[in-house]
Amino acid sequence: MTNAIEIHNLRYRAGKAFEIRDLELHVPHGAIYGFLGPNGSGKTTTMRLMLGLLRPLAGRITVLGDEIPRDVAHILGRVGFVPEQPHLDPILTVRETLAFHAAFYSTWDWSWAERLLRQFDLQDRQPFGRLSKGQKGKLMMLLALAQRPELLVLDEPTDGLDPVVRREVLSALLDYVSQRQATVFISSHLVHELERFCDWVGVMDDGRLITEVPMERFKNGIKRLRVSGAPRTPADGPFVVLAREPTNGSGETWLVRDWEPRMASYFDGPGVSLHEVIDLDLEDGFVELLRTFRGPRA
Amino acid sequence: MFRVMLYSQWKWSRLIVLLGSVAGFALPIISVQGAARADSSPLQAAELLRTVQSWGVLYPVLAATLGLLVAIASWTPDHRGRHVYALVLPVPRWRYVLLRFGAGALLLAAPITAVLVGALLASWSAAIPAGLQGYPVALAVRFALAVLVAFAVFFAVSAGTARTAGIVLALIGGVMLVQVIANVARVDLDLVGKLQLVVLNWPGPLAIFTGRWMLIDV
Repeated sequence: MTNAIEIHNLRYRAGKAFEIRDLELHVPHGAIYGFLGPNGSGKTTTMRLMLGLLRPLAGRITVLGDEIPRDVAHILGRVGFVPEQPHLDPILTVRETLAFHAAFYSTWDWSWAERLLRQFDLQDRQPFGRLSKGQKGKLMMLLALAQRPELLVLDEPTDGLDPVVRREVLSALLDYVSQRQATVFISSHLVHELERFCDWVGVMDDGRLITEVPMERFKNGIKRLRVSGAPRTPADGPFVVLAREPTNGSGETWLVRDWEPRMASYFDGPGVSLHEVIDLDLEDGFVELLRTFRGPRA
Repeated sequence: MFRVMLYSQWKWSRLIVLLGSVAGFALPIISVQGAARADSSPLQAAELLRTVQSWGVLYPVLAATLGLLVAIASWTPDHRGRHVYALVLPVPRWRYVLLRFGAGALLLAAPITAVLVGALLASWSAAIPAGLQGYPVALAVRFALAVLVAFAVFFAVSAGTARTAGIVLALIGGVMLVQVIANVARVDLDLVGKLQLVVLNWPGPLAIFTGRWMLIDV
């Protein structure tokens, strides 16, 4: 499978406080890639770099087979982008905003736009500046979808929207993706939301990509184990111990990565026993991963 | 693309363009009002020239103001959106800037036309004393050039960030400060004068704004 987005050895610096170092990122064609990370971790900056809005200090970015920034205008014609903040002209009405946007995209689909306009219940004579946050979110998604892109780059598209609007926006997105087999690169703080439909996940913190794996592997690979009789320094195991905390008595709780059920045999030694394997959901896994990345305690 | 850009900028600049057009139309007519009255005797040539000249100061002021305001209005939607939307549109940046510039310049055609029409009407209705002549087309062409020069300068400055504008202002302020210090220290340095010569005298970039703006002249 080829990749819709490929980033190699990317380096970018914004002031003295923030830096992206040696970033490697791969988004397979047709994937829905959830991009997670705490505030200020570099998610928005990475997105802006991959769309040519910022110039990297070093590294290579390829989007849909073309190189950024060399082919940026050509690439942007095939990419739908929903930024974190709505950046449209506040005095243009919804209808005028659609006409403005449509003029720049040869692939613009008016009938699909009209359908989404009705579906999202947007008043076409209302100025963009007077729309509610939810309506703005819907319009941004409408613009990104009606240009029929091959790749959608969505920077927290449902942030601050109520659950009803969020569901409408995501349902339109998934509807489009299923029709067009488009690639989606989406960042969000709503980890549970991404868990439902993403098939790949990348986690970023402090300008570095901590992990990039298929969602199933991420969800199933991070476990909390209740063990007893474990040696103070465990031998190299088939999984990665991210953290270990003493419980009562000789018991301990381990947080492990890359866990598979067959690895239970690791605890078959004398005096050592594995009592319980606890599943973590994406949010727990994400939080634990960040906790251990920032200060490993194993 | 140009049509939607023009429409978007029209929404931001329409009040400026309308007021500028009214002012541009009225200015030549008002400047010859004394000479236009059929019931009174024609003004003496010298008096008419003095009146036309005194009103003529307002043409470069109007041109600079229009250029400044339309330039600011051209970039306002992009500045408000921190240029994110503009930068993700699938057009090369130079082309986007050209579209914005072209739309702004076209909108300025309205006040320029208003000056031309006003000047033609004023020349036609005024009782021009012998030895003097009306120059409505020349005045309108000069006004057009001045408006476009002002628009181009302010368009370039306001395309940048607040930091760019700050640097430009700091440079101007720095020159002024050096001049003031030189004056206080009684150093023989005429920086502002030299700069004025370079910028405001032909072939300086702002020479179009200086000199006499006469609708009626010898």
